[in-house]
Amino acid sequence: MFWSKIWFFLIALAATAALALALALPRPAARAQATEEQRRLGVACDVVDILLTDDARNRVEVTGAFARTGTVVSALETASAAEKLDDVRMKQVRSVGEEVVKTIEGRKPDFAILLDRRGRVVANVNIDQDEYGDTLAGRPLVDDALAGYLRDDIWVFNNSMYFVAASPVIKRDATVEYVGAVLLGHKVTNELAQKLAGSVGVDVGFYLAGEPVAQSRSVSFDKATMQKAIGALSSGDPARDCQASKPTPVRAGKENITAIVARLPGEAATKQGYFTIFAAQPVDPGFLGTFKRLTKDDLTGDFPWVLVGGGFVLALAIGIGLMLVETDRPLRRLTADVVKLAKGETERLAEDAHPGKFGSIARSVNIHIDKLGREAKTAKKDLDQLLGPAPEGSLGTIDLLATALPSVRPGGAGPATPPPPSEFRFGDSGSSPARGTPVVPPAATAKTPPPVSFKNIGTQPGVGGGAAPVAAPPPPKPPLPPPPQTGPMAVQKAPPPLRLDDDILGGNAEPSTVGAAPTPPPPAGGYDPYFKEVYDQFIAMKQACNEQTSGLTFEKFADKLVRNRDDLKAKTGCTEVKFTVYVKDGKAALKATPV
Amino acid sequence: MGLPPRVIAPAYLVLALGAGTAMAGGVAGKVEVPAAPARAAVSNKGFLDRVENPLAPVKPVATTPQMLVVLEGPPPAGGTPVQVVWELVGESFAKPVIGAQVGAKVEIKNTSRTPRSLVAKGQPKLIEGGPLNPSGVRSFRVDAAGLIEVGDSDAPHLKGTVVVVASPYFATVDAAGKFDLGEVPEGTYKLQVFYGTGWIDQPEQQVVVPAKGKAEVTVKIPAGYPLKK
Repeated sequence: MFWSKIWFFLIALAATAALALALALPRPAARAQATEEQRRLGVACDVVDILLTDDARNRVEVTGAFARTGTVVSALETASAAEKLDDVRMKQVRSVGEEVVKTIEGRKPDFAILLDRRGRVVANVNIDQDEYGDTLAGRPLVDDALAGYLRDDIWVFNNSMYFVAASPVIKRDATVEYVGAVLLGHKVTNELAQKLAGSVGVDVGFYLAGEPVAQSRSVSFDKATMQKAIGALSSGDPARDCQASKPTPVRAGKENITAIVARLPGEAATKQGYFTIFAAQPVDPGFLGTFKRLTKDDLTGDFPWVLVGGGFVLALAIGIGLMLVETDRPLRRLTADVVKLAKGETERLAEDAHPGKFGSIARSVNIHIDKLGREAKTAKKDLDQLLGPAPEGSLGTIDLLATALPSVRPGGAGPATPPPPSEFRFGDSGSSPARGTPVVPPAATAKTPPPVSFKNIGTQPGVGGGAAPVAAPPPPKPPLPPPPQTGPMAVQKAPPPLRLDDDILGGNAEPSTVGAAPTPPPPAGGYDPYFKEVYDQFIAMKQACNEQTSGLTFEKFADKLVRNRDDLKAKTGCTEVKFTVYVKDGKAALKATPV
Repeated sequence: MGLPPRVIAPAYLVLALGAGTAMAGGVAGKVEVPAAPARAAVSNKGFLDRVENPLAPVKPVATTPQMLVVLEGPPPAGGTPVQVVWELVGESFAKPVIGAQVGAKVEIKNTSRTPRSLVAKGQPKLIEGGPLNPSGVRSFRVDAAGLIEVGDSDAPHLKGTVVVVASPYFATVDAAGKFDLGEVPEGTYKLQVFYGTGWIDQPEQQVVVPAKGKAEVTVKIPAGYPLKK
């Protein structure tokens, strides 16, 4: 059992380790997923920055093409020469601008502003269309465009954000001359954010001082958290914000989001403009979540089923082997040994032949056998003292106990002849005899009629039918016992060992013996009805054995039984005494058994 | 690659003429500027760096609009400083640099359609708070010589400088470098030029104003536009 226990311990340890591993394994996976998600956000931020830069390049090119349009150049040249601008000129130039805007393919600008060489607004297209005359010179984008540069910027006005591109307008006829500038603006909208989000697979939002301007999906961020993240970037190069920005966990309503922020360039930067790449934080699936995500493909292909199956078979084989070696085989040996003991082939269990606990069981059984032997010997001695030496077949022989005794007893020499087999049988509880119906071994049945149970007495009246006592040939009549002493002195002497049947057969005994019973007979009708049953059985058995019954009265018989019962109770401490009528050596005999 | 003809912006000449001058001539002149300084790094850069257009050379930085010519001489006999009007035309002032005599009232007039919140750098109480709405006027009085930088907190690019001097004789310079001080009492004056954020560091230049007629003055700005420390 030792190695079996060790093995079970190792199996339990391995199972626990496997369970702990299974519970812990999703965590690094979730951590790796979060890291990967953050990396993905950083990449997405770079991609969005590239897309916006590419978009700016396209917008600048479109603006340059717009500025090179002949009608635009002519209109602004004329406007630049005018000291004052008026409605007529404004509408004429605006009309020119509207026509040119229509020719732009792809995403059209949300507004166009045409400036003269001084930076005055000559006309607005699609925005504040009736206004003109304001000087936009002074804004870096406009100053650069009037000086001859093409560039872009991000403007904020009317609570909106615009990507603005600017280009100088240059007259190229006889003399090359700057005549103005053109600005094209594209509004930052949710559609733009969604388009960007579709390109990178995560959400995109544009903000001014923490307030959303455009988002691919409506999310309300914690303003302070985002401002803090932006503040951490204030010292670096805005162009490298995507690399420098650390993923920021932020709570948006009931949603946990990871966001990367990057400052927007241009004038928007002075108004704390930034864009955010964000995605919901990956949820740690845990053990069950990971289990639910298992697919058939996960368990096929290169899954090491051979290793798993081999491990299982090996563990099972080792466990079964240890059980076989340490439990099953010793148990079978013990069982066989006990069966031999039950059959009387051995008188004790071989303690040394059984290892471990089985040896302990064997020792315990042997100890109990020894105890029973001592108790039986004591009981027999008491019965002998009570009833006198019990020759074979005489009343008082406790046959059952005698059969259980080994041939060699620790307490002394055993009986000369081996005891008959016990009525007890292993593994056949259904055949256990009921009270009052002792089972007679086959050997005994062949020689003597079986004991007559109380029930059998009732169901087998008389001596005629049945296979038991009646079928047996009548045994030879035993010699008469020596005549008992008579007279009062005989009563006072220590009574010789008596046999109940002899006393009961007192019809052949001295009358004085009958009349001089040591104890007064119980009053008529005061005996246990059980004694009457035993008496009737005994009489019937005697008659069956052709014995004389004339001198055997019920009162004498009952007195004997009472004394016998009381003595047995006193000696053995039993609570009841069972009397069994049987035939021994052709004569009716009575057996008393403590219960 | 030749330089393009310079665009001459209208020079708003602000004159502070001394009252009661019986004999007064005038001063007119031209500022000869060296090569313009390099253009400052791009401001408010967008997603892209600015690129030069392929059709014409980029214009040099216009320096003269940031200049103010001042005549320092005997104090005027009596009279009160003349009020100065400074137009706010949109995203910039009509003149980035103006002059004002000590004690003069400077009136900022918003001729654009954009409201502004103007504030004087370092003197937050000099200009009355609140937005200066289109066509609105905001005025303040300058009590001491020095520089007053006015800007809009919501538009960092919007800046203008008021040069406060004791002399009432000063003039801005147009894109061509010309200036005209108008009537100036007869006498000898010292000419100084303010540029951008300080006074040009140059040899002292005397201007003798005749009783009649105008004195023609040519001012040569040293290369590199050095400023007095």
